Amino acid sequence: MPQCDYSCGTAEHLVSRRAFLGSAGAAAALGPAGFANAFAARELNKSQKRVLVVFLSGGVSQLETWDPKPGTDTGGPFAAIPTSVPGVHISELLPLTAKQMHRIALVRSLNSVSDDHGRGASIMLTGRVPEAGIAYPHIGAVTAKLLGSDANVLPGNIQVLDRGDSAFGQADATFLGAKYGAVSLGEGKPPADLLRPASLTEESDKLREEFRKKLNDRFARSRRSAATEAYTESFEQAERVFRRSDVFDVTKEDSKVADRYGRHPFGRHMLLARRLLEAGVSYVKVSHSNYDTHHENFDFHIEQLGEFDRPFSVLLDDLAERGMLESTLVIVMSEMGRTPRINERYGRDHWSKAWSVALAGCGIKGGAVVGKTTANGTAIADREVRSGHLFHTYLRAVGLDPTKNFYPNDRPIPIADPKTDAIEEILA
Amino acid sequence: MHAVRFLLVGMVFIGSGLSLHAEEPLHVRIDTLIAAGSTDYARQAAPLASDAEFLRRVYLDLNGTIPTTAEARSFLADADPGKRQKLIDALLARPAYARHMALVFDVVLMERRRDAKVPRAAWEGYLNGVFAENRPYDEFVRELLSADGVDPKQRAAAKFFLDRDFEPNLVTRDIGRLFLGRDMQCAQCHDHPHVSDFKQADYFGILAFLNRSFLFPNATAATAVLAEKADGEVSYTSVFDKSKKQGTTLPRVLGGKPFAETPLPKGKEYQVAPAAKVRPIPAYSRREKLASAITASENPAFARTAANRLWEMMLGRGIVHPVDLDHTANPPSHPALLDLLATEFAAHQFDVKWLLRELALSMTYQRSSEIPAGAMDMPQARFLVANLRPLSAEQLAYASSQATGQTDADRLALGKNATVTAVDAKIAARLAPFRKVFAAQPGEAESNLTTTLDQTLFLKFGPTLRTMLPPRAGNLTDRLAKLKSDEAIADELFLSVLTREPSAEERADVASILATAPDRATAITELVWALLASAEFRFNH
Repeated sequence: MPQCDYSCGTAEHLVSRRAFLGSAGAAAALGPAGFANAFAARELNKSQKRVLVVFLSGGVSQLETWDPKPGTDTGGPFAAIPTSVPGVHISELLPLTAKQMHRIALVRSLNSVSDDHGRGASIMLTGRVPEAGIAYPHIGAVTAKLLGSDANVLPGNIQVLDRGDSAFGQADATFLGAKYGAVSLGEGKPPADLLRPASLTEESDKLREEFRKKLNDRFARSRRSAATEAYTESFEQAERVFRRSDVFDVTKEDSKVADRYGRHPFGRHMLLARRLLEAGVSYVKVSHSNYDTHHENFDFHIEQLGEFDRPFSVLLDDLAERGMLESTLVIVMSEMGRTPRINERYGRDHWSKAWSVALAGCGIKGGAVVGKTTANGTAIADREVRSGHLFHTYLRAVGLDPTKNFYPNDRPIPIADPKTDAIEEILA
Repeated sequence: MHAVRFLLVGMVFIGSGLSLHAEEPLHVRIDTLIAAGSTDYARQAAPLASDAEFLRRVYLDLNGTIPTTAEARSFLADADPGKRQKLIDALLARPAYARHMALVFDVVLMERRRDAKVPRAAWEGYLNGVFAENRPYDEFVRELLSADGVDPKQRAAAKFFLDRDFEPNLVTRDIGRLFLGRDMQCAQCHDHPHVSDFKQADYFGILAFLNRSFLFPNATAATAVLAEKADGEVSYTSVFDKSKKQGTTLPRVLGGKPFAETPLPKGKEYQVAPAAKVRPIPAYSRREKLASAITASENPAFARTAANRLWEMMLGRGIVHPVDLDHTANPPSHPALLDLLATEFAAHQFDVKWLLRELALSMTYQRSSEIPAGAMDMPQARFLVANLRPLSAEQLAYASSQATGQTDADRLALGKNATVTAVDAKIAARLAPFRKVFAAQPGEAESNLTTTLDQTLFLKFGPTLRTMLPPRAGNLTDRLAKLKSDEAIADELFLSVLTREPSAEERADVASILATAPDRATAITELVWALLASAEFRFNH
């Protein structure tokens, strides 16, 4: 069987490790994005692919967004409006997004099979229905691993949450390892303990660092292993992230830019997402709460989508303007859709049987629409897809082969569910 | 006549040679077999570790923490040539031994799964008792594998089953990994593609002990217990087999004999027949046969895996490595040694303390981790130089508490109530933040190879370590601040955190930092931090 002894600690291993770390260090010393000039940064941005997921938490209504059914028993009060793509209509709650339609592809025939928040989120983010005995990694960990570059010092998998503190998670990386786990920025706050505590002056920090390095050098004179080497190197790496902590600070942006995105949390978080993507982070997820509208679905969607529409369309413009849209896949998803049936509290309930997801940017055929629901949206009429098909599509869009395997413990695990395949109609 | 006499003498000689050999303690035979594995043993092997290196290592391995400054001082000053053996015996006799082993075996057996059906305190208390009483390892495993959770007195032991939600494939896989040295996950669907010894039939042989059992009243109830039906066979087809031939097997451990069954007459299958809200009890229980079948002497994989895992715990690497991939294409580094350890462990009634003591007494265990000058990089599997091992989340928490003197301050503050349990409870309360950052995810193996950003930031700027540093009556910075000379500060600092004396160079460094820093108290605090954040502290070396 293939032997893979990472802890071998051989000289070759250490040398190659050093070489890679050396190059990473050199890149970081050159300032933003690690490149000496804007042209090089632009080239990097073109070749290095990234993924942005906008996660509409709680379950967004497909009828108030991508698949409106005005004038039917399920349609609700809102009209459908024309978009920048002739013949494609979306809800009037998304007027600015409608002007971006030539950049967006819609899938209107998703059956995600679970009406439960947690399970639904897992199905949408892993592209698989949960199985006993194995936990599949989320799209964020998968793309951080497969798209990440050693030259980037920032974590590859970052999620901006509208609640809570900043935290490091590993759960979403499962067998891919903690390195690819999501770093959560609750309310957009920088990673926990990234910044020097007030009680520690820069001068004291420098003194203690010098002494720590001396101790490590002495220890390494006669004792050395890949693990000790990685440990001592991790402090250098933390230092490099620390030096780039500005990336996490949206107040560094021009106030006019901040105004365009909107001064509400979601606007700030989308701006933060742009900064992170620009800095080369492979995967960014921004959550927007809350779409769980069992009561007053229509009022809540006016409010929520009113917040969503502008920053989302501004971000697409900004990415396009910077030449980054062609290398950034943008996905708007949720853990499920909402029932076509309107309940007695003017709400819509959980619904996974026939709803929509929007994609844009890297590898996506703008303006394409795939799948159809029936006239009042209560069933799929054409081209049913599952979360697995979407998962294949995401990976293909950013130039990865989803039919390849991961090999945790030597066991082949297909990257995407082999029972499904990519939605070719929306791939560019 | 001559020839006969000669022969007799020869036989006596051989005979006494053998018996002499057999009387040699295990630790001597370990060293002989490690030496035999290397042609250039004398040149390549590291010398014995210094007293300080040995002291730190054996504390971490047997008590899960580092010694107090006073303990370190007295051990280093002790001129008794037998002091290492005395220390090993003392550490094995302490309550900290049972506490440490409980934490180690919690991670080994439960892999940080959620405590849903058996609370943490009950489980840790149970494990603590097992190791404090030094109960034979086979007896312990039989208890884990036969507990059904009904009797409140043995409910804690049922955690192995209950907090895996008795998912039969998960339980089968983990019995294979933990007690048979075989990760047979692939064999669930087909014979292992790379490992010819891992057969689908072996996987289903174990599963057949379990597949009639289920959680009663249901899998989600916190009070669930195991129940069993009187029917249900395992059947399997290989996903590689185009003809889809069905295989089946009776309960069976690896290549062993299947448990033959006599069909019971109709109506006599149950002691308690299944009915709504009734926990059925079959007349013949397959699950009941599991525990003794796994630990039976006919199944050599059990003792072999146990010995290999205890060796790994002490030496930083299994003789079969990884410890759950024991098969012909992944042979042990020292086959005769592994056989010897397994045989002797079984012959000593699976006495865990006895085996750990013998391992700790061996020269192999006591070697330095410094690679001898002139020797090339040393493969870990040769055991000629001590392997470096990162401290576990728990060892790091306990060692940091001790190094910073947090433990001493706790003891002082507790005054006459400073029992071992009381002091321990203080540290246990501080375990959570260390576990959150340094422990693996539920069900995933602990990874020691990489350091993640959050771990580094935790040590660098995080509040957990930082709040341990400022002076508090009896803690390290408090003691250091009271010392007059820089040299005394350096000595106390290094002995407390790194369990050794500083070198002349290091004494000079400390003096120069104390002289340059604008504020002496801050400088002392950050000196302690620098030692805590050093690789020397992070690793068991």
